[in-house]
Formats: sequence, C-alpha cells, structure tokens
Amino acid sequence: MSQAAAVELVDIWKRFPGVVANAGANLRVERGTVHAVLGENGAGKSTLMNVLSGVYRPDEGEVRLDGTPQRFHTPADALAAGIGMVHQEFRLVPSFTVAENVVLGSAERILRRQDVEARVDEVARRFGLATEPDRPVWQLSMGERQRVEILKSLWRDARILILDEPTAVLTPNEADELGEVLRHMADDGRSVIFISHKLHEVTGFCDVATVLRGGETVAASLPVAETDAATLANLMVGSTSLAGERPPYRTPGEVRLAVSGLCALDDRGLPALHDVDLEIRSGEIVGIAGVAGNGQRELAQVAAGLRGSTAGSVHLDGKDVTSAPPRRRFGLGLCYIPEDRIGVGLAPRLSVVENAVLRTYKGHRRGPFLVGSRLTAYCRDLVERFGVRTGALGDPIAGLSGGNLQRLLVGRELSGRPDVVVAAQPTRGLDVQGVKAIQDLLVAERDAGTAVLLISEDLDELLTLADRLLVMHEGRIVAAFDPMDSERSVIGEAMAGHLADEGAA
Amino acid sequence: MKRRLFGLLAAVLTLGLVAASCGSEGVTTTRAAFVYVGPVGDAGWTWAHDQGRLAAEATTGVETAFVESVPEGGADFADSVRQFIDDDYDVIIGTSFGYMDDMLALADEHPNVVFEHISGYLSNDTNFGNSFGRMYEPRYLSGMVAGSATMSNQVGYVAAFPIPEVIRGINAFTLGVQEANPGATVEVVWTSTWFDPVVEGDSAQALLDKGVDVLAMHQDSPAVGEKAEAAGARWVSYNSDMSAFAPNAYLTAPVWDWGPRYAEIIEAARAGTYTPAPDGYWGSMADGVVALAPIASDVNADVVAAVEARRAEIIAGTFHVFSGPINDQDGYEAVAAGETLDDGALLGMEFFVQGVIGTLG
Amino acid sequence: MKRPVLVRRHRPLRGGQPLAFAVGLILALAVGAVLLMAADHEPLRVYQRMFEKSLGDQNAWSLTLNRAVPLGLAGLAVAVAGSMGLWNIGAEGQILAGAIGAAWVARIGGTWPGPMLLTGMLVGAVIGGGLLALVPAMARARIGVNEIITTLMLNEIALRLLQWLIHGPWKDPDSYNFPLTPVLPAQAHLPTLFGRAHFGVIIAGAVILVFGIAASRTAWGYELRVAGSSADTARYAGISLKRKILTVLLLSGGVAGLAGGVELSGTADRLTEGISNGFGYAGIIVAALALMRPSGVAAVALLFGAVQVGGQSIQIIGVPASISTILQAFILFGAIGAGVFVRYSLRLVPTGVDASGEGGTAA
Repeated sequence: MSQAAAVELVDIWKRFPGVVANAGANLRVERGTVHAVLGENGAGKSTLMNVLSGVYRPDEGEVRLDGTPQRFHTPADALAAGIGMVHQEFRLVPSFTVAENVVLGSAERILRRQDVEARVDEVARRFGLATEPDRPVWQLSMGERQRVEILKSLWRDARILILDEPTAVLTPNEADELGEVLRHMADDGRSVIFISHKLHEVTGFCDVATVLRGGETVAASLPVAETDAATLANLMVGSTSLAGERPPYRTPGEVRLAVSGLCALDDRGLPALHDVDLEIRSGEIVGIAGVAGNGQRELAQVAAGLRGSTAGSVHLDGKDVTSAPPRRRFGLGLCYIPEDRIGVGLAPRLSVVENAVLRTYKGHRRGPFLVGSRLTAYCRDLVERFGVRTGALGDPIAGLSGGNLQRLLVGRELSGRPDVVVAAQPTRGLDVQGVKAIQDLLVAERDAGTAVLLISEDLDELLTLADRLLVMHEGRIVAAFDPMDSERSVIGEAMAGHLADEGAA
Repeated sequence: MKRRLFGLLAAVLTLGLVAASCGSEGVTTTRAAFVYVGPVGDAGWTWAHDQGRLAAEATTGVETAFVESVPEGGADFADSVRQFIDDDYDVIIGTSFGYMDDMLALADEHPNVVFEHISGYLSNDTNFGNSFGRMYEPRYLSGMVAGSATMSNQVGYVAAFPIPEVIRGINAFTLGVQEANPGATVEVVWTSTWFDPVVEGDSAQALLDKGVDVLAMHQDSPAVGEKAEAAGARWVSYNSDMSAFAPNAYLTAPVWDWGPRYAEIIEAARAGTYTPAPDGYWGSMADGVVALAPIASDVNADVVAAVEARRAEIIAGTFHVFSGPINDQDGYEAVAAGETLDDGALLGMEFFVQGVIGTLG
Repeated sequence: MKRPVLVRRHRPLRGGQPLAFAVGLILALAVGAVLLMAADHEPLRVYQRMFEKSLGDQNAWSLTLNRAVPLGLAGLAVAVAGSMGLWNIGAEGQILAGAIGAAWVARIGGTWPGPMLLTGMLVGAVIGGGLLALVPAMARARIGVNEIITTLMLNEIALRLLQWLIHGPWKDPDSYNFPLTPVLPAQAHLPTLFGRAHFGVIIAGAVILVFGIAASRTAWGYELRVAGSSADTARYAGISLKRKILTVLLLSGGVAGLAGGVELSGTADRLTEGISNGFGYAGIIVAALALMRPSGVAAVALLFGAVQVGGQSIQIIGVPASISTILQAFILFGAIGAGVFVRYSLRLVPTGVDASGEGGTAA
C-alpha cells in the first residue's frame, strides 16, 4: 500500500427508488493491470461503473484517483480526469468515418482530414487496434466498432478504461483479439476495468478480479492466477446456506411441456440453443440455472412462441406447437412471464386496465367495441386478487413500483388457469416482499398441478423452489441436479462449463 | 371542449380590445391591391412586380397594398382577394399564373372591381384582363451577350417547366447566341421548379461539369449565378438585375419593368374606362414592360454596340426575333425565310430551334 | 449545478388543458405583440383583425372550417399511423394521389349526376391515397423497411406523376400548353353549407369522429395502442403486427387521399400542381400537436385553420408575410405546446443525476 492505486472506490452506496444498487461496494485497481469486475445481473456492477465514470454521484463513499479524492458532476469531468468508458451500446455515428467518430466531441475543432486520419491510425497502431480510419462506421463489424469506441477513449488519453460487458457482442475470435488489445494497454501503464460474467474470459486475460454480489464487494482483487472459474462462479452466486423451508414436493404428474432437439438463434443470428431436450410435468417446478447469456432467455422465448426455432420441436400437452403463434399457445394453457416486464409483458404507456386485459380483451367485446365497464371490472378483480397496489386503474402503469408491476403481470398470466408456466427471472430486481409474493404464487401454481419452468440467475431461489434443477452452458443443458441433495460448488462448476459429463443425469 | 377552448380564445382576444373602426365608409377613392406568389425579397419575379407597384403608386398617387407568398391552387388567393375587396380595394392584380381560374370567378362575383392577371390567358369582356411581356425580345439580346462570352462554345440553360413561355425564352436566347457565335450550342436542363436553390444549383453544376462556361436560367433564385461565380463561368440572370449575387459571373439579364403598365391599369380603373385588352396585353421592349438590364462592364464594347443596335431595331419594329429562316432542332425548316411567327404560334410554341441540346420535357 | 429537466407526470394534471391553453395563448400573444411593435404595427389592431377574420362571424368561420378540412384529414392520416408508432411522412404525396384519383373519376364520369360523381371522386381519392401508401406499407410489414424514408420518397413520385399528367395526357387542350387539366364539370363541386364552407367539413368531421371512436372504443383501436406502445408486447399478446402495419398505413394513405379529393371537389376548379399546398406536411404538425389522438386532431386543425386564415388577413393590412408566419407559429405552439406541462412537469435537478426515474435497473 505504499503507492496509491490508480482507482479506488471506497464504500460506495447508491440507492434508487425501491432498490439499493450499491451497498458499500469497494474496488481498488492498480496501474498497469486488467481488472475484472464480476457479478450477476443486478449485482451492482454497472451502477458502480457509472459512479466511477461520472454518470451517477454516489450517495455515500468516495472515488479516488491516484489517491486523490474526486467529485465528478458529469461524465465529462470523469473523462477529463482520464476515465474512458466503452458502453455496451456503442455511441457512434454510423455515417461518419472511423476518424471522424474518434475525434467527435474532443477538444480539436477544425482539422484537416488527412492529418486526423494519420493521427488516429498512429494511435491505433500503438495499441494494436487494426482499423481503417477513412471507413464509415456503418460498414464495420461489431468488433471493429468496439475498437473505434476504445480508440475514442485512447484519443482522449484515458488512463483508466472501463469496458462494460465488452464481449457480449463479439465473436469468440474477436473476443480473443480484444484480450490482446487490453494487454497492450495495461503494458502501456494504463488500467483496464473489464466487466463481465463470462468466466473463461476473466481467467483468460484479466490479472485481478473483484466480485460483487447484491451491491457489495464479496471478493476484492483476487489474483486470477491463484483462483479458478468455479471459485469465481460460487462467489458470484453466493454461498449462503440453503433456505430451510422448502415447500413439500409431491410426485409429478404427466408431461405438460416437452422440448426436444431444440435449436435456435439469438438476436445476432448466432446459435443460442443446441439440441435442448426438456420435459416438465404437472405439479413440478423445473429450475434452469446458468450464468446469464447461455441460452436461458432464448429457451423461454422459444417455448412461449416469441422466437422461432431452427430445429427440434415443442409439445404442449402432447400437441405439437413448434410453429404455433403465442396467442394459440396461451389458449392451450401456456402462460409466459417474460424477463423484460416492461416492453414485453407490459406495454409501457398504456393504463393498468389496458395492460390487465392484454390476454383476454377479445372476450370483452360487443361487436367491434370493447365494453369499458367489463374491462374495468376484470381489472379490478385481478388487482384485488393479486394484491396489486395501484392508483386509478385508468392511469398509465408507469406509476407502479416494480413489485406491483410484476404482481399485475404474473396475476394476469396465472388468472387464465394455465397448465404450463414459463417464468423468466420472475423476481429479479424486486424487493424482499415482492420476491416472496411471486415465489408463493409460483409454488401455489405447482401445488395446483401446473408445470412450471423457472429460469433464474439466483441460485438460492432455484435451490429453494425447484424440484429439479438443470444447468445451461453455452446453449446446452449440461447438468441436472436434485436441489435437495447437491453441493453448491458442484453446481457452480457446471455453470462455469466444467464437469459437463460427470454432472449430467 | 372545443367550444370552451374557442370561448377562451375569444375572451383573451377581446380582452382590452378597443373597438376600432373598420373603415368602410363609402367608396370614393381607387385603391389597388397586389397578390404575389413569392416573398418580395430583394430580387426576382415578385420583387420586380413590387417595384412596379411602388412606381405606379408614385405616378398615380393611388394607395396600394400587397400580400406576399400566397400559394396557388388552394383557397388562399380567393380568401385574400375577398378581404381586399371587403377593405374597399377596387383594383386587384394577381401576379402568378395559378391565380387565373380564381380571378375569373372573382371577376364575375365582383363586377365593380377591376382584375388584372399577369402571365395567364383568360379574360372577360368587362373587368378581367391579362397582361404579360414579350420577354423573348430581351432574351434574344441576352443571348447575343452570352454567345460572345462563351469560350467553349457551350452555353447552358437551367430551365423551369416545358411550357411555351419557357420554350420561347430558350429559343429566343439561342437565336441570339447564334447571331453572335454561330457555332455555339445551348444545352437545356429542366428543373421542374420556379424557386428551388438546391435543385437549380445542382442543375447548373451538372452543366458546368459538362464544360459549359455561360449559364442562363428561367427560375427565380440566384443559385445558378452562385455556381457560375464559383466555377469562374458567366451568367445571365432573369427577372431582375441580380448582379449583386454573383458580381464576377454576371453578364446581363432580361428584366421586367411593370411600373408603366400598372399605372395605366390603375388610371383606367380610376377614370372608369378600364376594358380588358381583347387578346390580352403583351407588352414589348417598345412598351417598356420588358428590358435588358445593364451589361457587365467587362463585356467588349463591340458586343455592347451590336446589342444596342439590335435593341433599337427591335423597338423600331424593323427586327423580329422569330423571323425566318429558322430551323428546328432536327434541322427541318420551322419558319420560312420572309415569314414571321404570329402571336398565336408564339403563345403555343412547342419546338426547339436548331442549336438547342435537350428535349422538351 | 442544476439543469432543468422535463419529468413525465404519472397522471396528467386534471383540468390543466384549458388553463395551459389560455396561459400559452396569452404568452404567445404577448411575445407576438413585442414583435409587432418592433415592426411598427399596432398589436391590438392586428389581433382584432386576426380574430374577426377567422372567427368573428359566420363567413369567417366558414373560411376557417374550409381550411381545417385538409389540415384535419392530413393530421388524422398522420395520427392514425402515429398511434401505432409509424410515421407517415407521405401524406403530402397521398393527398396528390388522392386528388389524381378523384380527377380521374371526374374525367371518366363527367356526365354522371352530381351525387354519383362526387361519391365516385371521393372513393377514387381514398383509393389513390391508399395505393400510394401500399408500397411503404408492404415494405414495412414484409421486410421492415423504414416507412419514414419510403413515404417521404413517394411524395416526390406522386408530384412527378401529377406533373406528368397535367403537362401531358390530362392537359387542357385550350390551355396554351399550360400545365392544367380542364375545368371540372359543374356537378363535381361539393355543395356549400353556409358562407363559403363546403360539404367537406361534414365529411372530414365524420371521418375524424369515426376514427376517434374506433381508436378509443374498439378492440382494433386497443390493439393499435398496444402495438404503438411496444411491438414486443403486441407480439407477446398475439397481435399480428404485419397486418396491423399494413392496414394502418393503407388507412392512413386513404385518409390523406380523401383530403386531396375533398380539396379538389371543394375548393379547386381543376387539378393543378398547387392542389395540396403543403397540407400533408402541415398534417404532421397537426398530428404531433394533437399527440396522435383523433379528437385532438380536430381541435388542432380548427385552431390551425383559424390561425392561417387570421394570419393571412393581417397581411391585407400591411403585416409582412414573414411576421404573420412567425405570429401564427407563436400562437399555435404557445396555445398547444403549453399542453406539454399538463403531462410533464419541469424540475431542476443537479447535473449528473439521471432524472428518468428509471434507476431501478442497476445491473
């Protein structure tokens, strides 16, 4: 500790309405290192980085650069202090060239094109960032665009570069190239903060790792050389002991949802599911564990009919629904609690009533007209039954808290007496009460004989609720566990992609 | 709800308003109103008409008023005219072709008001006439200047719409070019605009890129001149002297002078002697409605002298622009030697003379 | 350090609309008065004239209503698409196409009795506008081509088509080659209601009313709102986006086309290039100010019409067109733009704080 670290974040607290994003988080990044910041979705990584890059001001705590306390009011302040951030969504002007994007907004005012291109090229070469400064950005691949973003920071002479899940949009080769670039930068005496939850990348090209969970630092500056992916996975998902009260488990009934040989692509058109087989029976909750981005999201969407499959089949109560649209599946008794509550499950600008009748409005028609009084009565009943706290039913849902939004959504889906529930991250981001309410609803459904597919990144939740636990890794189901009788560490290994053969049941 | 909103509007507007008189006590004096299609600005078609209005006001002492930027085709024109008539204006002059139908209908509706339409062809026997100018006369003279100025023997013409008025202008200009420079050609590009600096500038640039070194035009924006100026080429503007926009490129311009004609109409209306010209009034350089603007000082004195000589002949009636022999674009005889096109043929002109490169539309 | 931020109210301010209207209007008139005085005009006299000539008597109202007809229909066309999150920038072209359709029916049906001819013309107008919208509608629904670009580009194509027709095959043989069609047959004109107001006022009112009810009361309108709020939610609820996009853009084009037909048979004597006069573009402003709601479209179109008629009337007393235009914009945006504060409140927040109120996603 003789020398001050390049970056120190000390006891950072950041609260948002209903959520504590950072609860005393700490981070210490040394000069010349690539430092991984790990954590599940909701662990507070992005918030912490937004604090460092001046987007948010912390409620409590201190940001120090080279030992000097800083007060950033805007991202520009942080930038001026040498902190550059590469966001997940690139902030580039597609019709501008690489060089134009790099200098855009920097101190330079009037420049000769050739000079700028030459200088950009020079900086790029120094860090091994192969680019063509005169090419328009719209022609570039995602990996190339990311290099432009990194160049933007280097052009402004950032000494600390934050990359927020930089490999999410990259192909594996591009990710490896990125790793080399980051090494170059570290060797140049800069500090790189690498946010990720892909463990093999962290072990591949990071020096040190800090793990966040629930807004707190649970492991600070672990030397990567002295740890392994399974340890990190366990740190990410937590090692608290199993919750005591598991709801009693009854023998499951017949198969409700059957998925076999399923393959599908992700939003970028890359394979996301490989030959997935899955059966869920009446009266059981099947949990899917896995580090985010390993195909869980796509699995839920394909099951619900919101994403096409490239191979394989989906059967609902024995009927082939592989190419059935979402409304038909709902009619056949499949309800879906999507990961994106607002924007998929709920329409943001519409009212509580309008959202409550999303699945059933056709039943409230007289001729072409919707009967307003019936819609309202239906909604009022839903709100009362599921304890949604809301203002006037005609007001936009924007006024509802996260927990009440989810109660409205889950209530709407469950009120159709489904045979199958596909629930993706149903409790993410909710407060304790909200989590409890949703979990109770799911268990009650199971007890009533519904087949429940529960996808969650919260291993504790899965261990508490699931009757069977499957682990997904890189689009495959790689392991099955009995939640009553499994070591967390073994599950963590499976999530990290190890023991794939051994754990499979 | 709507009622409430407008009730509020009414309340707000009447709040504190003093009952001002509308000034409608007896029609004794003649007042002339002008309706323009574009903004008056400081050059061009509408500006030339407004200069005419001011001149007529000065000579006759009659009060005048105008509205500008009144679009064609919709209800705007008729609404404006009715308001002028409500305000006791009894001479209405509309300066755009598209006002024609409305003016005919309004003239029937208001028999005590004199209507004069510029650039159309309809009229009635009592209170609705039309006026225009023989712009082809100064066009010819401007062609002589352009023909002398071209080094590449390629002259460009940024044309508006393929209607007889524009075609006539191109032909007269080309005949003038060829008098001064028999080997020169005039290449036409259509813009389908009357005022669109971007399109007109682009068209001018396209011609310049082909090697044209003198540009003429029929639209109302100085964009063509600006392109010529930038390229070091020369430019014949139109409607009014636009030399200020491109002082080095500017050669000359066929221009309007509406003052005398407007004064004549207003005087006739005041005296109660107005009758529409039977086939429309088509004023010449001799009448003073059209003219050639001053020629740039760097143009050779011999050229200026030749232009002056032709001008005198045209005014004297000893030279006619469209006297044969004239061949059409394909080399066939269009006007035989010794013949002169009559006004009917001029008004319906639908062919290009020899030396014009381009198609009719 | 603080900066002002517009924060969306969870619920609109009750009773705020008339208040915002009045305050905004007074502010606009006050600012306009300064401008007028700077240009040496008496504000009170100018405002009085504006009011008298647009809303002062029956005749003034008839002019305002006539003006509101194309503005309202064009605004409705944009709003219908806008309520689903689609931007029909092509209303101008669709108006031209509608006028062409109506003119075509008038050409072939010149001898038909009035009611039949007029009905035919209006149907022709709807079909004309709809046909022009068909290409962007299909392109958007089938392959996701951005309709903003395609509708905008088709404006140019419609204009060229119109120019070709009036310079070519439809040109009046007696027009000395001027680009005009022959004058419409006498029975092709919409009947007059009062003053100068023509039957188009009733047509536009009825169409806006029907759409207003359809948008707010029917399952179809509900699906439209869902789709407009979030395409993913619509897909989730099993609403066919492709079909919605197709029908909505076709309807939008048809309504704009109707505006062209009504203009042709209501105010014009024949088809010329000036038939639309930019109503399609003004319609975008109308729809935006009306927050894409049909009921709002009617109100905004009326105000817009009144402001245009009034704005023109003050030119007669010597106010230059430029000042009149600025004044019109002031009034329109002042009176309606102030409505923003019914839905949003202005707050001063310290810089560096995300004021969107959606800080919950702290991943």
